[in-house]
Parts: sequence; structure tokens; C-alpha cells
Amino acid sequence: MEQLKVIEIQKNVYAKNDEEAAKVRAEVKQKGVYLMNLMSSPGSGKTTTLVRTIQHLKEKLNIGIIEADIDSDVDAKTIATTGAKVIQLHTGGMCHLDANMTRQGLDILETDGLDLVVLENIGNLVCPASFDTGATLNVMILSVPEGDDKPLKYPKMFKVVDVLLINKLDAIGYFDFDLNAVIERAKALNPNIVIFPMSAKLNQGIDAWCDWLEHAVKSSR
Amino acid sequence: MHELGIMIHIVDQIEEIAKTQHLQHIDTLVLEVGELSGIVPHYLENVYPMAVENSILQHSKLQIHVIPGKVLCRDCHHVFHLVTPQQACPKCQGNNHKLISGQEFNIKEIVAY
Ligand SMILES: Nc1nc2c(ncn2[C@@H]2O[C@H](COP(=O)(O)OP(=O)(O)O)[C@@H](O)[C@H]2O)c(=O)[nH]1
Ligand SMILES: [Mg+2]
Ligand SMILES: [Zn+2]
Repeated sequence: MEQLKVIEIQKNVYAKNDEEAAKVRAEVKQKGVYLMNLMSSPGSGKTTTLVRTIQHLKEKLNIGIIEADIDSDVDAKTIATTGAKVIQLHTGGMCHLDANMTRQGLDILETDGLDLVVLENIGNLVCPASFDTGATLNVMILSVPEGDDKPLKYPKMFKVVDVLLINKLDAIGYFDFDLNAVIERAKALNPNIVIFPMSAKLNQGIDAWCDWLEHAVKSSR
Repeated sequence: MHELGIMIHIVDQIEEIAKTQHLQHIDTLVLEVGELSGIVPHYLENVYPMAVENSILQHSKLQIHVIPGKVLCRDCHHVFHLVTPQQACPKCQGNNHKLISGQEFNIKEIVAY
């Protein structure tokens, strides 16, 4: 019988993914592709917002979508109706995308000629906050029915994102949702966060968000 | 569910280390989990058997070292144990602290041959 020995590793669990993510970020930058990672709880309106965003920007930018939200191709089919290039990643029950899966998605999508690629991450506010995908821009959606206390419950997500979209504002009359409190709580966690209130369903507030995104994509070149 | 995804990510990293170091057997995996890391040790233990199935860690033990959440009060220099993120200094009631420990989530070591 061989001798057991203690092998020191002393490495942060996320460090290896962080290294891969840095590589993905460099790769997309080199190709001139702006990669956006879209995160939220299930049902907050990621797919609906993406459809609106594509409709708004498709004359101005070549857009590709990597769908990872659920283990079926419903969302990919919805996106395909807009005419945007889209692929469905099958993540086999995983609760987040990591940098390696993102690279696979980019390879399958074939990003030549694309200006903007959006990753619809798996619906979850926990793990995607810890696993950097290598995206240039991290965006989250919080929808009104989820409640205004979400920044207190999921502080990490609110800290890592660049943009917060507050969706389903059309439903605010039915819920106890204090918009100003959410904005205040999000800014306390992340002073640089950019916030757009909207209703993807009614196509309200989409303009301001899309103008901002178009500018971000173009000024990154 | 979230702990399972993270545990599988850890197992992949250990498999890679085992391969490069030509290890044949792993007896124990030791993780460090800070009290303020958002990771719950109990759930990691629950998903462990599922995550290690058919891997080199299959029959291994999981050991978790919990690292206390400690902060230094910038106003009165008192060091105290922080349990929730919003918690005032017990000595001066100040809210201006610097985190000393508790956010760790590390693969510390493995016991193997
Ligand atoms: N009332 C309302 N419903 C919305 C809005 N945006 C999306 N929804 C609905 O919310 C549900 C989930 O939307 P979906 O885009 O699939 O969310 P995802 O799971 O985050 O991709 C669908 O029934 C949408 O029609 C909105 O702005 N207002
Ligand atoms: Mg979706
Ligand atoms: Zn104090």
C-alpha cells in the first residue's frame, strides 16, 4: 500500500474559471465582437427583452444569440423569429455557464461578422454571479413580481453587473414594489451600476437601453 | 442545486490535478469555506456523493474548514465576528468596517497517493 500524502492546493475555487474567462474576453476583443452576458431569475423576461433589443438594433448591428436558459429549444425558436443568428446550448441541468461553455457556444455560433453576441444565461441569481463567462458586459434583469428586496438577498449579483434592467414595470400596480428603494439598494452595492426601468411586453423603456447598448458596442471598437 | 454545479466544477479541477501529478487514489478533499462566502457547507456535503460519482474522488471523504467572518472597525479598531453583512460594531455602534476574513472559498488540499 502506498503512502498517503497531503498535497497542498490552496486555490480559490473560482480562480481557474477566472483565468479562462480572461482568455475568452481577450479572444472576443481581438475578433471585434462585443459579448454581453444576460442574467436573471427564471421568467424575469430575458428572452422577451432580447427579442425587443434585436428588433430595435438589427438594422444597426449584426447580432448573435447563445441560448442557455433552459434545456429545450423554445427560447431559441422565439429568438429565431427575429431573424437573428441563434444557437441553443444544452447545459444538461447545470445552473450556470462558465467560461469554457461560453467559448463552446461562441465556436458553434461562428462569430465572424457579428458586432454583438448575447449570452442568455441560465435563470438563477446565485451561481452565474460567481462564474465569469468572459463577457465584456454583464447585465441582469430584475422584474417587478420578484420583489424590491432582491438586492438584499442576492448582493453578489448586483455587485458584479454593469447594467440593471428593471422589467415588467407595467405590472407595478399589482405588486408592493418600491422602484426607488431598488435603485437605492442597487447603487449602495454598486455605485457605478447603470439602471433602465422598462416593460419589455409593452416595448417601453427599450429605446433608452438600446441606445446605451449601441453606444457601448460602438465605442468599444 | 447551486452547490452541485459548483461541486462538479471542483471535481473537474481535482481530476486535472490528479492527472498531472499521476495520483491513483484520493482519500480526502479539504475545502475552506468562509462564513460570508454565500456557500453553505451543509449543502456541499449533501451533493458530494452525486458530484463525485465516477470520478477519482468517488470513495473520498469531504472535509470542510469553516473560516469565521471577521471585520475590523475602522472607527475604534475593535475586531469582531460578523454574521450578517449589515451589522454595527458592538463596541462603538459604527458601521465603517474592513473585512478581514470570511469570503474565502478555496480548495485547500487533498490527501492522496
Ligand atoms: N407583464 C409583463 N410580462 C412580461 C414582461 N416581459 C416578459 N413578460 C412575460 O414573462 C414571462 C417570461 O418571460 P421570458 O422572456 O420567457 O423570461 P426568461 O425566462 O427570463 O427568458 C412571459 O410570459 C413573458 O410574456 C413585461 O415587461 N411585462
Ligand atoms: Mg428565456
Ligand atoms: Zn467600533
